[in-house]
Amino acid sequence: MGSKPLLTFPRWSNKAAVGVLVGLVGLPLYVGLLLAYGANPTSLTVGYQPVQPVPYSHAVHAGKLGIDCRYCHTTVEKTGMAALPPTEVCMNCHKAIFPNSAKLAEVRKSYVEGTPIPWVKVHDLADYVYFNHSAHVNAGVGCITCHGPIQQMETVRTVAPLNMAWCLSCHRDPKPFLRPRDQVTNMDWTPPAGVAATALGEQLREKYHVNPSTDCVTCHR
Amino acid sequence: MTSVTLPYELDNTAEDPRRRPALITGEAGLGFDRVTDEVCRVAEARRPPRAWYLAMGVSSLGLAILVVMVAYLVFTGIGVWNLNRPVCWAFDITNFVFWIGIGHAGTLISAILFLLRQKWRTSINRFAEAMTIFAVICAGLFPAIHLGRIWFAYWLFPYPNQMGTWPNFVSPLVWDVFAVSTYATVSLLFWYMGMVPDLATFRDRATTKLRFYIYGALSLGWRGSQRHWHVYERAYLLLAALATALVVSVHSVVSTDFAVAQLPGWHSTIFPPYFVAGAIFSGFAMVVTLAIPAREMFGLKDFITPRHLDNMAKIILVTSCMVGYSYLMEFFTAWRSGNPWDQFHFLNRMFGPMGWCGWVMLICNAVIPQVLWLKFARRKVWILFVVSVLVNVGMWFERFVIIAVGLHRDFLPSNWGSYRPSYVEVWTLVGSFGLFLTLFMLFCRYLPMVAMAEVKGILPVGHEGPSQFRAASDAQLPEMGSASSGIAPILDSPHPNPLPEGEGTEAASHLPEGEGTEHASSAPHPGHLPEGEGEPWGLLATYRDPAALRAAARVVRDAGYRQWDCYSPFPVHGLDEAMGIRPTVLPWLVFAGGLAGCMLALVMQWYVNSPFTAVSAAGGLAGLPLVFSGKPYWSLAANIPIAFELTVLLASLTAFLGLWALVRLPRYHFPPFASRQFRKVTDDGFTLVIEARDEKFNRATTRELIRSTGCVAVEEIKDT
Repeated sequence: MGSKPLLTFPRWSNKAAVGVLVGLVGLPLYVGLLLAYGANPTSLTVGYQPVQPVPYSHAVHAGKLGIDCRYCHTTVEKTGMAALPPTEVCMNCHKAIFPNSAKLAEVRKSYVEGTPIPWVKVHDLADYVYFNHSAHVNAGVGCITCHGPIQQMETVRTVAPLNMAWCLSCHRDPKPFLRPRDQVTNMDWTPPAGVAATALGEQLREKYHVNPSTDCVTCHR
Repeated sequence: MTSVTLPYELDNTAEDPRRRPALITGEAGLGFDRVTDEVCRVAEARRPPRAWYLAMGVSSLGLAILVVMVAYLVFTGIGVWNLNRPVCWAFDITNFVFWIGIGHAGTLISAILFLLRQKWRTSINRFAEAMTIFAVICAGLFPAIHLGRIWFAYWLFPYPNQMGTWPNFVSPLVWDVFAVSTYATVSLLFWYMGMVPDLATFRDRATTKLRFYIYGALSLGWRGSQRHWHVYERAYLLLAALATALVVSVHSVVSTDFAVAQLPGWHSTIFPPYFVAGAIFSGFAMVVTLAIPAREMFGLKDFITPRHLDNMAKIILVTSCMVGYSYLMEFFTAWRSGNPWDQFHFLNRMFGPMGWCGWVMLICNAVIPQVLWLKFARRKVWILFVVSVLVNVGMWFERFVIIAVGLHRDFLPSNWGSYRPSYVEVWTLVGSFGLFLTLFMLFCRYLPMVAMAEVKGILPVGHEGPSQFRAASDAQLPEMGSASSGIAPILDSPHPNPLPEGEGTEAASHLPEGEGTEHASSAPHPGHLPEGEGEPWGLLATYRDPAALRAAARVVRDAGYRQWDCYSPFPVHGLDEAMGIRPTVLPWLVFAGGLAGCMLALVMQWYVNSPFTAVSAAGGLAGLPLVFSGKPYWSLAANIPIAFELTVLLASLTAFLGLWALVRLPRYHFPPFASRQFRKVTDDGFTLVIEARDEKFNRATTRELIRSTGCVAVEEIKDT
């Protein structure tokens, strides 16, 4: 006995153990934070800016030219869907303005052939969520509140996460987000001088009877 | 009152411990090394017994069935089970409650019997704890798969999320999540912590590199240090105390899943104690069901003796009576309440379309176990086995009767229905046994089945030592205590050799010789010491028994050494005081941990359900004020279960992590590990090591001091 040395752990293993412990705590923490960040709608949804079949610029039409939102999105005050305009609406003007522009080739083709322009939906809610534009617009929620400064966007992108917690934040306390109904499409509206947004919002909430529900069935029908 | 002399068998108040059969019998009862050998044999055998292969084959087949059935369920949908209105819970929740009940015996044996100083628990606690963990795994499976979309199971936990929703903390189903996950965690910690010294034994006996490194890594560098044992024992006691409260809470919480509902047969205040008694009942029955074949298969009859089986049979009998009493009380309450729905329910339970289930439950649980009143039945292994299997059949039916029979006839006759399991449900139940037994078989083969360190601690030899040795060393105390400057007085004093004449040489000759080993019985002369290469790391002395080690510890303590420690296979009584170890700070840490858990739970529940935080916080951190049955948003009573569970969870985690932090493990490298003498610590070695970094350490004088303590061998440890 005693000839063959006993198996032992090397000296560095004492430090390796600390490393393993740090790894055991650090790795789940890292993965958790990575998931929390990566799978968050703020990372996934905000800034979504798909390439559209026609290089339509809201900055030009809504910003520079000052066309009201409802000129194109005609049903926004009346129905759940804020209608996408048919090609005919584009051609109301573009028959006369830039009738030969290369950028409008797709629009003219759609007009002649009678096929819709395949716009890519930017603000796309989950299928199990019911959302009604008219309910919000008539309650005094401005376009800019959810869609951001559209009048400055060359290509539309999302500015809000559009997730449930974001919806709930307004449903639970809508006061800061309300404005007079006639100012809904005004992209430059601010509360009158000397009036706090929440104070005005409280007045409007009572005036318009805005009592948003947070029941599940309100949105998940 | 006149004293009546009862026959010995009937007198349970003044039982004479000397007349009880030994807890550990046969070869294993003779010595520490025998215990090690007998237990390790199972895991070290090149091939397990043939019965193991048979059992493993059958159970892995069951596991395969489970995998197929669960995969079919997950890919197809919950419709493959025959659940529908009104029986929306049946096999799934029955199996859940059944398995979680089975899981109660392990913690009961480890924790409650530990607190009650029931030494017989040491033979069965390890595999009962293992059984608990495997049963909780099976139990956790069923609620998860009955959710339908199992990939969203994490929604059950409270975490800030993009939906702005939180679990409903006043719902017993959420309490369940906390209770069961806390129970699983604490059981796992308890099991693993208890196993660390035994894994170290496996490590030190390893004959292959693979075994050495795997068991070595798992045992965290455990070395049987008394300073470690001191914290370890305290941590074990704290965990036992926490687990005791926990084990009672878990099945109480499970019972509230039913008790807070209004359904006749569910809505009853008797449920928590009734369920806890039933859980212990079924758990012990499962321990007996597994212990009887296991002791045959692995030759553990010296550890799980007829006395152990007898004790367990008595617990089964007691809990059977408690369960039977609960059944009768349910009928009595329904009758006395005058509530027609309750009265109908209990008539329907026994005489309705599914009445046969009620009779199976009553007969298996309350009638058949009465046979255990007979000593004959408790001692006949096959009778005990049959009874314990029938108890588990009965206990499964008890849950089925409460759940499915309760649901199929509720208040509205227009809502009545019936239930018949689909083949998927039946085979999933069968498969869960496959999972349970597969894990159990793997445990038997690869992990220490019996808590060796604890068994060694209760052996009679662990408490006896040569009394004249103790007297001799105590006589030295005053003299040494006065020696404040070094150890010169000891060298001057004539060497009192505490070992009986001649025995020192004999004992030493049994020890294997390591490098640098020098027997204490050889001529003690400092000048003739063999000079090792370079400076020594320390000096190691080996003692014959715990008492000798304890006496030596006093000597070294009084000599003023600081960097030294005693190493033993189990915590030696009185060694803490002999070494002068100060009480550990661990209990205060655990108290702080528990307090933090309680506060965290209360703040979390207040925050999450508060209408204030719903509007003041943004996004996923906003609260979710839920209106339920007109209850207030903030209700302390409804928040107590989760506050309790988190208190126990954080206190237990603190006890577990605090233990390893205080003893600074894992540290795998330790110079004495290179010594064969030292490697016997995890088997039957009692050693003392004085490290060279101690200020008082001197190669010659320290060796003299150690010699004077009556060790059987001294060895110089090199720094490796």
